[in-house]
Amino acid sequence: MNKLKTPRWGDILQSNMPWLILAVLCVVFSFFTDHFFSLRNIVNILNQNSYVIIAAMGISLIMMSGSLDLSTGYQMSMVGVVSGLLLTRLALPVPLVIFLAILLGIAMNMANALLVHRMNLTLLMVTVGTMNIYQGLSYTISDSMVISGFPAAFKFLGQGYIGPVPFPIILTAILFVIMNIFLTRTYMGRYVYALGGNAEASRLAGINVLGVKLMIAGITGAFVALSTLMLISRLGTAQSSVGPGTEFTVITGVLVGGVSIRGGEGRLSGVVAGILIMAILSNGMQMANMGVYAQFIVKGAIMLLAIGFDVFQMKRRQLAQSARRREKERTAKE
Amino acid sequence: MGALLHLKNITKRYPGVVALDDVSLEVEAGEIHALMGENGAGKSTLIKIVSGAIKPEEGSICLSGKTYAAMTPAISNSEGVGVIYQEFNLVPSLSVAENVFLGQKVGGRVFMDFAAMRRGAGDIFRDLGVEINVDSQVGELSFAKQQMVEIAKAVCKEARLLIMDEPSAAIAQAEVENMMRIVLRLREKGVTVIYISHRMEEIFRLADRVTVLRDGRFITTLPMSEVTRKNLIALMVGREMNESFPARAAAPQEVVLEVDRLCGNGDFDISFSLREGEILGIAGLVGAGRTELAKVLFGAARMDSGEIRLNGKPARIRSPRQAIASGIGLIPEDRKDEGGFMDYSILWNISVMSLRRLSNWVFVSREREQKLGRHYGELLRIKTPSYDQLLKNLSGGNQQKVVLAKVLAAQTNIILFDEPTRGIDVGAKQEIYQLMNGLAARGVSIIMITSEMEELIGMSDRILVMRDGRAAGELTREEFDQRRILELASGL
Repeated sequence: MNKLKTPRWGDILQSNMPWLILAVLCVVFSFFTDHFFSLRNIVNILNQNSYVIIAAMGISLIMMSGSLDLSTGYQMSMVGVVSGLLLTRLALPVPLVIFLAILLGIAMNMANALLVHRMNLTLLMVTVGTMNIYQGLSYTISDSMVISGFPAAFKFLGQGYIGPVPFPIILTAILFVIMNIFLTRTYMGRYVYALGGNAEASRLAGINVLGVKLMIAGITGAFVALSTLMLISRLGTAQSSVGPGTEFTVITGVLVGGVSIRGGEGRLSGVVAGILIMAILSNGMQMANMGVYAQFIVKGAIMLLAIGFDVFQMKRRQLAQSARRREKERTAKE
Repeated sequence: MGALLHLKNITKRYPGVVALDDVSLEVEAGEIHALMGENGAGKSTLIKIVSGAIKPEEGSICLSGKTYAAMTPAISNSEGVGVIYQEFNLVPSLSVAENVFLGQKVGGRVFMDFAAMRRGAGDIFRDLGVEINVDSQVGELSFAKQQMVEIAKAVCKEARLLIMDEPSAAIAQAEVENMMRIVLRLREKGVTVIYISHRMEEIFRLADRVTVLRDGRFITTLPMSEVTRKNLIALMVGREMNESFPARAAAPQEVVLEVDRLCGNGDFDISFSLREGEILGIAGLVGAGRTELAKVLFGAARMDSGEIRLNGKPARIRSPRQAIASGIGLIPEDRKDEGGFMDYSILWNISVMSLRRLSNWVFVSREREQKLGRHYGELLRIKTPSYDQLLKNLSGGNQQKVVLAKVLAAQTNIILFDEPTRGIDVGAKQEIYQLMNGLAARGVSIIMITSEMEELIGMSDRILVMRDGRAAGELTREEFDQRRILELASGL
């Protein structure tokens, strides 16, 4: 039993697996392209994927608590066109639009959470329905038009620089630090893991399960909205088809990053690594001139691999556990 | 008539316990054979061995003249063994007729002949004298009707040996009569029945012979004409208290909890009180409503009517959160799914109910958390090299201590223990008992639900016996008697 005190190499390796995979990928890609390790390329990849990482930080909260949300992509679609219209058609001031967009993101996630509670369903089932509602609303509101002509101040969100560093990277870093502190240091962060670890035991431990779920919905909604604003600001346009699809990249990345599909496990740093793995792969596939649809096939395969690996690990752990227990009983008897 | 089923020298061991110890048993063709014994006597294990769900380590099973070292579900099925467990194996969304013929082919190679299926099911029910609509959806039926579907399913498979595990536990009193009539009808048709029940009236009405098991051992098989209720109970109990329980001087204290005509979920209707520093044992058979009572007291299940008073004042307990805030804690029966967070560390588990108290604003103080963990870990003598150890890697006894530490750390002073030593080995049991006594001595009041007679009598200051959701009797320490308790619980 005593050797459990010192962490084994295998454990260290396993808990940092996403970063290891990322490192291997980087090395492989640096062979194919001369300028992969250039500062400019790395900053570029980080900059382009900031919005994905921010969305992933919100979505990983949901996944750590043991749920799965399929509507995120269409939530982004909604937030995108609504903010676009508020900025252009109504010409509202930028800070107010940011505030309203965040409010909209929170509202859509809270609606999901309340439906889960009221109808006693899983989030997966509810969002199969609401994703269509959000899609319909988005196209109705935008009238399938492309919205452009954002004010210059808004462009800073996705294209601005502070000194030599792109603003999206700075914002992502700040949000990462805040979320990490939230998850590891606050009691609410613990409740997220508690819910993912065992929902019934959480209820019996006196945790306000609905309250925690609403809090998660609120945080996720805000992150999804921020992510969308950053994206449309970088693109310079908003339209209903922007956003959908992101949810699958994000869910795959979060799984690759070590969050368990059953919830309760995972760290935010792993999530960032998981998203970057997806980003570099997609970058590489683009360089290899693979079509968008071929990329879907690869992403889907990776998602299946990640889920399969997760379940495989769980089964292996259970086997090891029962073997250990049997061993203990045998020695106890002797 | 000869023996249809002959079990010879069956031994089944589980880690730490011998569930069946050299049990031999003969069941004759065409009889209703009652199987009796306290909880843990080995009845369920015996059924599983006959049905082929588990394999015995030693012994043989002789069924209709053929001898097997172990049954498999396939063999028992083809030999006509049907088992009706307490939890039914029905598909709620299908019709009665479809359930009766589940797994059997009716009609052609591709298409099912629904008309034939409905006719067949109708014939079976008519023959059994059961009124039921073969088209109704099984999920919509009462438990009693679902049980009839289970029986019809067995009849349809031409079961020659039907094993019924506590068939009266889940159904209403009025429907038991009907169920018994059908069991007798099955015997007329030549079906052999092994009937497991705690209830004396059923056994005496139905059975031809009775076998008593105790602590995994065969005690005796007797014709019903040669036994009385009293000596049947004596045979089931017939055991000396062989564990030593730490002595404890209980001084009467103030009443802390009063329950007044509390009803919940139709499962119970009960009044009782609990004093400070007292251990109140709650006895009763499976299905008497004990766990449901604990769940309602803890706010985890809906309370329908009645009143709960804490220290004389009416308390509003509508959620576990309110219960904990009022100082009530629950140690659930199911440690793995309800009690603990198996994938997280010991420290994490101990502190999870107290996080707010351990926090400065929203930040959990690591220092205070460590201190709390150490305090309760030492108080309950949790054995581990490190508090970072995951809960699932601990032994059952240590897991239970962690769950208890978690509840105590939330500053509760009334603790509901639901089967406190289930799945815990003997040595650790003693430790749990000592801890419970230590808590009572410090003024913690304890309600202990247990199915283990020794634990009940050894630990309780007072025993409340429940039967069918009601108080069947209350015994003070001087009146403790195993037979008396069993008599009250089984409604003698």
